[in-house]
Amino acid sequence: MAKRKTNLSPGNWPRLLYQFFSSLKLAMVVFVLMTVVTLFGTLDQVENGLHAAKVKYFHSFIVQHDLFGTIPILLPGGLLLMIVLFINMTLGAIIKVRKRWRGVGPLISHSGMLMLLAGGFITWAFATDGYMALYPGMKSNRVESYRNWQLEVFPLSEDGTADKAWILPPETLQGIESDEQFVATTPSLPFDVVVNGFSRNATPIPVSAPVAESSPGKEIDGFKLAPKKPSTEAEQNLPGCYVEFRPESGGEPIEAILWAGSYRFDPRSDPMAFEFEVDGQTYGAVLAKESWTVPFEIRLDEFIFEKHPGISTARNYESRVTRFEEGEEDTALEIKMNEPMRYAGYTFFQESFGPAGSNPGDEMFSQFAVANNPADQWPLWALVVTGVGLGIHFVIMLIEFILRSRRKPAAPPTP
Amino acid sequence: MNSRLFPTSFLLALLCLPVLSLGREAPETALPNYEPWDESVVETFETILVQDDGRVKPISTFARFTLLQFSGKTTLTFATQDGESHKLPYSDWLLDVLFRGDVAKDLPVFVVDDSAAVVQIGVSPKSKRDRYSYNELSEGRAKLAELSAQYAEKQQKFEQSDKDPQFELGRIEGMILTLGRNISTFEYLLGQLGFARKGELIVNENVLPEELRQLGRRLDPVEMLDRMPEMSLDQLVQMVRQPVGESEEEQMFSGALKLFFFHANSARGVSLFPPQDEEDEVWLSAGDVMLAGLASKEVRPWATENLASVQALVEAEKEDQAAFQAALENFADQQRAEAESRGEGTHAEMEVNLYHGKYFSNALVLFVLAFVILAVSWFAPGSKFGRIMVLIASLLALAGLALDVYGITLRSIIRQRPPITNLYDTVLFITGIAVLLGLLLEYFTRIGVGALIAVVSGMLGMFLSMKYEAKEATDTIGQLVAVLDTNFWLATHVTIINIGYAAGLVAALIGMLYLAARFVSTLRGRRNKDFFGTLTRMNYGVICFCLFFSLVGTVLGGIWANYSWGRFWGWDPKENGALMICLWTLVILHGRMSGWIREIGTHMNSVVLGIIVTFSWWGVNNLGVGLHSYGFTEGVWGTLYSAWIVMGAFMAMGIVVWFVERKRKSDKRASASADPVTA
Amino acid sequence: MTFRISTMLPAAVAMTFSLGGCERGGSETELVERDWSGSEREFQLVDSSAERFRYQSRPAEGSETPSAGGSSNGPRLTYTTPEGWKEEPASTMRDINLSFGPNGEGECYVARLPGAGGGLLANVNRWRQQMGAEPLTEEEVAALPEKPLFGQPAKFISLEGDFSAGMGSAQTQPDYKLLGLILASDAGAVFVKMTGPREVVDENEEAFDTFTQSIDVSMN
Repeated sequence: MAKRKTNLSPGNWPRLLYQFFSSLKLAMVVFVLMTVVTLFGTLDQVENGLHAAKVKYFHSFIVQHDLFGTIPILLPGGLLLMIVLFINMTLGAIIKVRKRWRGVGPLISHSGMLMLLAGGFITWAFATDGYMALYPGMKSNRVESYRNWQLEVFPLSEDGTADKAWILPPETLQGIESDEQFVATTPSLPFDVVVNGFSRNATPIPVSAPVAESSPGKEIDGFKLAPKKPSTEAEQNLPGCYVEFRPESGGEPIEAILWAGSYRFDPRSDPMAFEFEVDGQTYGAVLAKESWTVPFEIRLDEFIFEKHPGISTARNYESRVTRFEEGEEDTALEIKMNEPMRYAGYTFFQESFGPAGSNPGDEMFSQFAVANNPADQWPLWALVVTGVGLGIHFVIMLIEFILRSRRKPAAPPTP
Repeated sequence: MNSRLFPTSFLLALLCLPVLSLGREAPETALPNYEPWDESVVETFETILVQDDGRVKPISTFARFTLLQFSGKTTLTFATQDGESHKLPYSDWLLDVLFRGDVAKDLPVFVVDDSAAVVQIGVSPKSKRDRYSYNELSEGRAKLAELSAQYAEKQQKFEQSDKDPQFELGRIEGMILTLGRNISTFEYLLGQLGFARKGELIVNENVLPEELRQLGRRLDPVEMLDRMPEMSLDQLVQMVRQPVGESEEEQMFSGALKLFFFHANSARGVSLFPPQDEEDEVWLSAGDVMLAGLASKEVRPWATENLASVQALVEAEKEDQAAFQAALENFADQQRAEAESRGEGTHAEMEVNLYHGKYFSNALVLFVLAFVILAVSWFAPGSKFGRIMVLIASLLALAGLALDVYGITLRSIIRQRPPITNLYDTVLFITGIAVLLGLLLEYFTRIGVGALIAVVSGMLGMFLSMKYEAKEATDTIGQLVAVLDTNFWLATHVTIINIGYAAGLVAALIGMLYLAARFVSTLRGRRNKDFFGTLTRMNYGVICFCLFFSLVGTVLGGIWANYSWGRFWGWDPKENGALMICLWTLVILHGRMSGWIREIGTHMNSVVLGIIVTFSWWGVNNLGVGLHSYGFTEGVWGTLYSAWIVMGAFMAMGIVVWFVERKRKSDKRASASADPVTA
Repeated sequence: MTFRISTMLPAAVAMTFSLGGCERGGSETELVERDWSGSEREFQLVDSSAERFRYQSRPAEGSETPSAGGSSNGPRLTYTTPEGWKEEPASTMRDINLSFGPNGEGECYVARLPGAGGGLLANVNRWRQQMGAEPLTEEEVAALPEKPLFGQPAKFISLEGDFSAGMGSAQTQPDYKLLGLILASDAGAVFVKMTGPREVVDENEEAFDTFTQSIDVSMN
């Protein structure tokens, strides 16, 4: 093969870039790297849990993977690879490709795959997921996050209610390092909020406990906050931090430990707030799960739970609910495994139930996963498109293969 | 009952497959003479229903998997003093355990892979790998209990300490742990019908003080039930715990209560009785029936009747086999009538036949036979004789496939589910698809390669299915967790993705065959371009087929996940496994188009595809620290690693071919450029 | 070629993104205002950190059940109930009584006895007997592992086997597991005993540690 000289003059760059990004070889490299990243991201889950591995390997531009746990190597992350793949596929398989009948299958199937990738991107960028847990009779429109915790500060009325809050959002709070001091302010409140020693998973221990002595944290009201190794199940983590409320008027700062465990474990119980007073007004502070509302209310009417006879495997669980919306008729419906409720852009799935250790017959709550994904149904359409494309191509190839094999029977192997 | 299509052992011996030729040790100590059960007794017994693992099934299935768990086989082989040798199938064995406990205690049931394990519990060893009877192990019983408790704890620590090697169970320790658990289960079974036996308590009797044993010989718990005051289990426990009064009457009463409690407790576990209430789904064991009767006088007639029916069995067994058969039939009829009115146990007979039919092991025999015949064809390749041999082999493989499919169909009907619901099912299904693909390839190409692929897949798959069944030793027709309770997705996603797996494995086999053949032909310096070209086209076709099914299956899986969990893709190991298969087929296809991958590359990469498929199929399921990871995971990873080493060896051949041919080409080019005339 | 691209690409990308990615250093921010009117939130008002951190103190129920052992006259115990565990009524013998597991089949209780409570050796062996294990000698008991209880080293017992509580003829529970702590001194003995089906106990072993470490004495 003669070596071709590449024209590297600046004027030729767009063409070179186009060639690079539309090339089959790039596609192949991306596939190989994607396989490698997928493999490493799978193995990493054994050690660090699904969520951590997902963020590190697949929702990232770049990954540092320790080969065999020791040799650090850099790899492109799943997100970057998929973006490159998307560009590559658009340029190479849709724009550049020669349009002819034989190529119609691949063209269709590549369009389907583009749709799938685009759907994945939209999901990654815009979809929200959370849950709603209800006891029979309870009604709500509030969805809570599984893993995102935020710091809420609010003026508290005497009966323990609040109708307004100032929030340190999860992106900020959960990014605070354990040795970092973080000041949050607002002109509307007469004090600053200072966060110290944030820990993604922690437990408060009474200073009287023997283990407290070895714990480095500061003692406040008989407790210290002891950091713990984050769980491989990210949903299990209960973060905690030290906070100081520093009155702008001067005066002693008010110190407290805030811990996610003061939030609710059970949909019926209310969060327990830390109460303090500044300038005669009572305030409350909690670490709370991030939450948002859906434009309708759901009431759980009945929760049905069955086990296989004699063993503890759950056979079936389903919820009868009623949906309330202003200006609409109340709708009674069922949500069960594999049969979610889709409404107004939201999908409610039967996810789990509680409290832990319940038996059929006990009073139990039902938990729905609530997803809002603009690309919810894209994979289905992408599959149909891809399937049709591959099917057409496959049939064409099969016919060709058979015709060729029939026409020219190959000789048997020479021993 | 043991009808076999072919003399298995002869064929296997012929082939000398090391894995199949399980050592056949002659028993050293002769057992007391054994009186076999009449065939009619066994047949009737097998149809008795039992609720186990959340499912109503014939007791023969329960017997089969229990024996498999204890002994690694479904038939017991032993010789007795009178020189007779016996082959005891699983149901006969369970009959002995339940009705002739003293005989069962002498049967060599418990397999010990390394005699060092029995030495440790103070029992004199037999061969290196051998089976021991309960009685042979009895002197080590206490030591066994102690050690297995200790090892269970150690294993626990191992799993909790993120597999800290200092807590890892050694091979022998693992064996002792398993043996300990099996012995406990066995004792439980032995004691099941103790309540119906009046004084012959067989096991656990040493738990009772002497005076209670005396009393036990005089008291019939079933009769007792009639005269007892109503009380709940809690009350019974309270009463049993209370200090006993002085008077003989009080002592008598307390003793009776204790005995009743003892019997009721021993008779728990094997659920033979459909509940009285139609709505209630949980079947009751004799122990449950006793307690239910104790709790309420209303229930007593029903309870007494049921318990008496078991007593009748025990009595009849003492008489003779004909009487026993009649009693069993009576019991089974009544039970069946009750179960059928509840809509349960309807496929019990089919299930009994499924295991009698031995479809999968017979299919293995057919595939092995086909392999032998195919091997014969290689002596005269291309000749008419050779072609006929290939045809016969293909037909045998087709018959094997038919047996596999028939077995799968029966299992689906029994379970009322699509063919695949668990890992064992995937083995049967993937084997079937691989054999089918191989035969189709043979039909289209007629060069003997497809037949070889079919036969090899059939052999490996059926062998794997038997190994896996023996290793797991639990019922393979189990109940499903809630999310799997959907025939639509089981039938679509699960089936399609497994077709993809099968195609990936077939591609790997073609690749390995190609690389080996190419290696040989390179060494000889000859090459049949047509043959290799056909193999490449064949493999390309199979890879496309694999892509289609993997991709559709994977996306369908995502859609299912979106329906049941609210997310299309979650990057969990099983999903990633499927994704890697798709990606790698894409690597091959795009590599071919870009010119980076050509013939050898295609086949090399198809072997890599095979490695990825095996990882996705078996590996990802065993990544986590499972509850039952001892032995199982070990075995799976061992097998996986050996498979990967084999595949790696084939790839090494490919690399050699690649280097040799490149060198030859460059040599040729060098000589060509040295000769100005040709240039 | 594959090799070159695969090694260069990430490096290039790494550079690009490390330039844009390191702006997270500002450790001051403004709080976001959120209006809750219309769906106002309710909060539990609690008195102490102990309550807020779920270190409940069990009210002395001794008054209801005049105790024979006299243990309820002593200081109260405070502790954390692990997540998913349930409180069961305490009894004369049990100061704290909890259950856990899918069907509440596991139980965990704390008992206190005045005096040495029959001695360490006897108590360890009583538990071993209940689990079908051979008794240990005094030396072996002395060599048992230890875990903290009230800040003091307590003997840790972990046993698997068939569990039969009470006398010889009592109900036997196959495949059970027992975890226990015994803290014996001349003044009194404290027992923490957790029993249940093996798998359930295994799942809750961490909770057991959390629980035992949380047990404390409250003087008020």
